[in-house]
Amino acid sequence: MSEELAGLTVGLIGAGNIAHLHVAAWKALGARILVHSLEGAETMAEQYGLEVAASLDGCLAEAEFVDVVTPSATHKEVTLAAIKAGRNVICEKPLTLTAADSHEVIAAAAAAGVRIYPAHVVRFFPAYVAAHSAIQAGRIGDVAVARFFRQASSPAGGWYGDVARSGGVIMDLMVHDLDQARWMCGDVTKVYAVQNPPTVEGISPLTVAAHVTLTHASGAISHCRATWAAAGSAFQSGYNIAGSTGVLKYTSAADTGYAEELQDGGAAADLLIPANTLGESPYLTQLREFALALRGGPEPRVLAPDGAAAVYLAEAARASMETGRVIDMVTFDPTGAAA
Amino acid sequence: MTLKVAIASFAHGHAMSYADLLNQLPDVEVLSADPDGASAPDPGPRGAELAAQLGVPYVDSYDELFAWGPDAVVVTSENALHRGLVERAAAAGAHVLCEKPLATEVEDGEAMLAACEAAGAILMVAYPVRFSPQYLRLRASVEAGLLGDVFAVLGTNNGKIPIGGRQWFTDPKLAGGGALVDHTVHCADLIDGLTGGAAPQRVYAAANRVLHQDKGVEVETGGLVTVNYDNGLLATIDCSWSVPDNGPTWGGVTLQVTGTNGSVEIEPFLPRINGTDPDGEVYLGIGENFDASMLATFLRAVRESGPAVAGQPPAAVPQPDGAVGVRTLRIVDAARRSATSGQPVDL
Repeated sequence: MSEELAGLTVGLIGAGNIAHLHVAAWKALGARILVHSLEGAETMAEQYGLEVAASLDGCLAEAEFVDVVTPSATHKEVTLAAIKAGRNVICEKPLTLTAADSHEVIAAAAAAGVRIYPAHVVRFFPAYVAAHSAIQAGRIGDVAVARFFRQASSPAGGWYGDVARSGGVIMDLMVHDLDQARWMCGDVTKVYAVQNPPTVEGISPLTVAAHVTLTHASGAISHCRATWAAAGSAFQSGYNIAGSTGVLKYTSAADTGYAEELQDGGAAADLLIPANTLGESPYLTQLREFALALRGGPEPRVLAPDGAAAVYLAEAARASMETGRVIDMVTFDPTGAAA
Repeated sequence: MTLKVAIASFAHGHAMSYADLLNQLPDVEVLSADPDGASAPDPGPRGAELAAQLGVPYVDSYDELFAWGPDAVVVTSENALHRGLVERAAAAGAHVLCEKPLATEVEDGEAMLAACEAAGAILMVAYPVRFSPQYLRLRASVEAGLLGDVFAVLGTNNGKIPIGGRQWFTDPKLAGGGALVDHTVHCADLIDGLTGGAAPQRVYAAANRVLHQDKGVEVETGGLVTVNYDNGLLATIDCSWSVPDNGPTWGGVTLQVTGTNGSVEIEPFLPRINGTDPDGEVYLGIGENFDASMLATFLRAVRESGPAVAGQPPAAVPQPDGAVGVRTLRIVDAARRSATSGQPVDL
């Protein structure tokens, strides 16, 4: 436990997939964890030795700040409750399911003097940090054409399949790479998106791919490809970023420096989230940086407006899919776009 | 039976590979002509000098080349000049292997297809990656249903900017454009082969000139082309000339194919030996020569078909044929228009 984080009590709201990774990180930081969830809080508390908060209000009252890892559609409501209670918030991506909601939450937080940090954890993965640093340092010149991809074993059999709750494959999975594209290539001026098979009556296909092409103010173009793949497919992500004087390439499947083939008792591949990285968990790096900032340290590398911008791009992608047209981000107003 | 195979033009660098391979084949007689070579602004030798280096017989004019009575013609001129040579070959009753892309305009491609059809001649398009063992296995897996329903593809054909040896590749008229024209078609062809010729319905292309600004080229150097096909398939092709000038190899082709039951990714030019030499990183390709398989397929079909008979389809139609050439050209043409208009183009 670091001294700066001594005596920390975190309110963990939610007990789903990502909660397990956050619990491991908070425990590594020596925090006391109060978990509150509509489902699964007791099981999780038992598994990791946490304390259960029976009510959201109780959790907010006792915690120093909260870590919101609930299903996406509830982020807004839970975050607003935390703001009302005067608690700082770390919120899983997507910050909310619409940019309008993100801005409402950000405004409420500003009015209450509360901070919100969106958990865009890919900004903490060493391979992505290295590319960002190299680009900032001018190592590959001006970014020209960048490609990002991300594939997970499809979670669409559960609540993720309900687009009203998850936002679909773009809002849920690609939102990471929409944020990366902004981080690496700068502000976006145009968005074009296609998805196959299409979403029908608000239900995402079980296996589905979305391709989004972005044009950036810098002149760079980028492509984000997100796939909810056949059940059991290993999690994969990667990029290929070509600049005027060089190229940077990475794929999570190939570039770990560790390969194993175990006939018996080997660990199963990660399906939904890339938990199995070597070295320090990026979730730990992320939550430490957020916690230190909330204890008065320097601001973290990703802030609420970044989370809102990623949601805004995802909404533009959906509008492009619906209209079959390129969305001009200078004039795009997502108000009225279906959540 | 000895086949007479003509090579029309050395404008495309692949002509050298084809000349070399044809030279090694028994029962094949080769004759070449490169009348425009002398005036080309290329640094290396062209015309008679290059033919001498390659060890292939040479004549000074296309008149002499076609008067020779070739059974087959390999057209390796600048893209925009394919049509004239293919029409001449068809008129001479010769079967044709045409370098990709088939043409720079859809209208030209359709005319070439019609000319060969009328002459009863084979028209095959030089898409050698189709003959790679990686692609053949992928296609067999797709056809056997191992991937389930294929719903998305990401293709990349990234390479160095092809101006070192041949200047016309960056001439908007002779090449028809830049990276969008040069590098979209290989992946489009591989996808065409997987779908059995699905028709492109909507094409969106974003392109820019951020790469190679120092070289003063007038064409796009980077591009991303997204295609929706009539069977629902979604594909994006990165056609950028994004391999740096100091890269260890010219570039490569990849195809990532996702189905409801799993995915396959191929990289046909990947098999290699790594290491270092005094110049830095070593990249020694150890794969098969796809050009050789492609030429063998073409020549087998030429032998099987015998002399072209006007109005009668050839006995053998080797793939990828002219129709694939036109379908892939439609994608390129739509991509060019989309990049200009900034909006997707419906076909």
